[in-house]
Amino acid sequence: MKTKNNLFKIVTILLISVMISCSSDDKLTSSQLPDSNPENSALDNWIDTNYVNPYNIAVYYSWNQNKVDNNRFLFPPFQNKVQPVLEIVKTIWLDSYTELGGPDFVKKIAPREIVLVGGINLNTTGTVTLGLAEAGQRITLFETDNVNKKDRENVQRFIATIQHEYIHILNQTKPFNEQAFEKITPAGYTTNWYATPIEQAREEGFITDYARASVIEDFAEMASIMLTYSKDEYQNILDSIVSDKAYFDIKAKEALVVSYFKQAFNIDFYALRDAAERNTDKVVND
Amino acid sequence: MKNLIKLILILIITLQFVGCENKEDITVFDQNATERLNTRTKELSDILLSSEYGWKAVYFTDSTQLGGFTHLFKFKDLKNVDMASDFDEDTSISSSEYKLELGSTVSLLFTTRNRIHLLSDSDNYPTAELRGQGYKGDFQFLYYGQENGEIIFRTNRSFEELRFVKATAQDWGDLAKNTTIRANLTGTIDSSLFKFLETNDGNTIEKFDFNYDVPSRFADATPIDVSSDETKSFAIAYTPTGIIVKPALTVNGQKLSVFTYDSETKNFVATGTGGVSAIIGSTNIPPLLTDDYKDLLSGNPETGFGYIAEYLEGASSNSPLFESIINEINAGLPPGVAIDRVQFIFNDGPFNYVAYTFTGGKKAILHLFTTTEDEINKAIIFTPGAWQENGKTIAAPAFLKNLDDQIMNSSGLYVKKENFNIAFSNDIYTFTSTTTPFRITTYSFQ
Repeated sequence: MKTKNNLFKIVTILLISVMISCSSDDKLTSSQLPDSNPENSALDNWIDTNYVNPYNIAVYYSWNQNKVDNNRFLFPPFQNKVQPVLEIVKTIWLDSYTELGGPDFVKKIAPREIVLVGGINLNTTGTVTLGLAEAGQRITLFETDNVNKKDRENVQRFIATIQHEYIHILNQTKPFNEQAFEKITPAGYTTNWYATPIEQAREEGFITDYARASVIEDFAEMASIMLTYSKDEYQNILDSIVSDKAYFDIKAKEALVVSYFKQAFNIDFYALRDAAERNTDKVVND
Repeated sequence: MKNLIKLILILIITLQFVGCENKEDITVFDQNATERLNTRTKELSDILLSSEYGWKAVYFTDSTQLGGFTHLFKFKDLKNVDMASDFDEDTSISSSEYKLELGSTVSLLFTTRNRIHLLSDSDNYPTAELRGQGYKGDFQFLYYGQENGEIIFRTNRSFEELRFVKATAQDWGDLAKNTTIRANLTGTIDSSLFKFLETNDGNTIEKFDFNYDVPSRFADATPIDVSSDETKSFAIAYTPTGIIVKPALTVNGQKLSVFTYDSETKNFVATGTGGVSAIIGSTNIPPLLTDDYKDLLSGNPETGFGYIAEYLEGASSNSPLFESIINEINAGLPPGVAIDRVQFIFNDGPFNYVAYTFTGGKKAILHLFTTTEDEINKAIIFTPGAWQENGKTIAAPAFLKNLDDQIMNSSGLYVKKENFNIAFSNDIYTFTSTTTPFRITTYSFQ
């Protein structure tokens, strides 16, 4: 043991001497990396004021190949589309959650990055990816060039994406009861969800065709459809369903969404839905 | 153990002596990696900003299946760029942002949307195979240096070489002429529908059937002499005076790539030396006649071919005359009603007929006919018979006359099985009038 201790001491002393023997007298110079960051534009300042400072969410509209799938043929948005789109997202999504969850709700549970892509993300199968939520950190929104705030249907389609992706982020923070949810329509899930139309999916107890993709997507679709459409529009969707079983299956899923928001975040989901509806009206009628 | 300590001591002491050896005198570069990147960035920035009228690039995104798209760039400062392209008829100038990005190398990146991004739209693709890939374009270009005043880039995704050459005031002024050239190549409603390529090596002339796909700017040339060499393929780009073909056409060892439009003959001509030349022109008679019509004659099994508006409207193999007749008919129909299909059925028992079907609940109308062949011109002739609706004979409906007359052309139709598909795997057959610029595109139901 003693020999080992001696050995340890000798080696340590020698190692230190090796380390200091190569020390150099060179002084640190200024960084060689370019420090000529172009000045912030008015748009960049607006983003800082409305997203970065209050919510700690960075917005990427200027192309950055590291933020997107480089195998896809996508492109950045028109610059003049960026602020209008972000205003819609802020009013309908951020303001509604802030109203019901308090000023820090989205700040604490939020994507740290929003990436805006100008065009459609068309898959080679012909399906369209409307949005992506990656690891709870980043939400990518496609088709921002096509958003028209005077067109309610258009706004709803766009906002459904962020509502959907944000549900994933909430689920990643606090899981929902997947077992209970899955038991409602266990046989209906399929990777081939796009082969059947939305009406048929509804007759099988799914709020959309994409809800059939998996129980996780089903939950996100259920919640985001309720937050996207008005109370009446949602009721009209339910009333169009012929099958009683499908109707009550969807109502059972709705109940699980409502109880999840209450238990996980102490948020009254119906009040959140009403706020989103009010804010959607505000955007469209502004 | 003592031996071990000695060994370690010797090792460490040796390290003391050799560990600090100075290798500075064998440095490969004068600057370190960061300095080199900074120098490259400055170099690229300087040259981009140096050209008074900016830069011109003819971007061939994938010359195995797509043509070239001319872009003009004027870098205004370190952030803003003006741009124009001949992607479509809008050759006007738009502004957007760019930056020089430092990665493993320096790259030029067009960061906000402008004309160059039209080539990278997953939802706007020229052929079915390119669904989800658009025109396979990039808008981030890796800087590879300069040569003879040109800037050499490679595209970020596929490493295609792309050269920026200095633009002139005339390049900007003339860009709209590329659109006129495109119209000259694709033709108007009255133009002949078939194209040929003719090469002259100074002694002999060789003829090719020339098929040009307008959306993809890509052409195939099939030799008419079957014993001749294989089909050639060309990516095509427009210039204010003609077209560029890539790869160059080799005739008698000479490379011909620049074709000039001759407004008198309406041909595109490339001229070499010693009588070598090549011509791309139009003709009323298909350079390559096929026997594809023979299977439709009586005595054969039942066959069907359908123009389905939902998928084939706008197919580049439809002729402008066909499209205009369809539009005219639709405009005269009540709202919500339009032509859905024009379907040819052959040898359904003793019957042949054209079925005109409609959207919006309007009943289908059939026009019966008999077939004969024109063996010399390799065409099929439809001789019109009775009209039917709901199983009952009716008078000839006036609103279908212009369309039906073209199909029942007494001189007949050329039939061709095309070598491309549209949206589905069904074979595509075209029926082309032998006397007018009328061509309809159909799916084969066999």
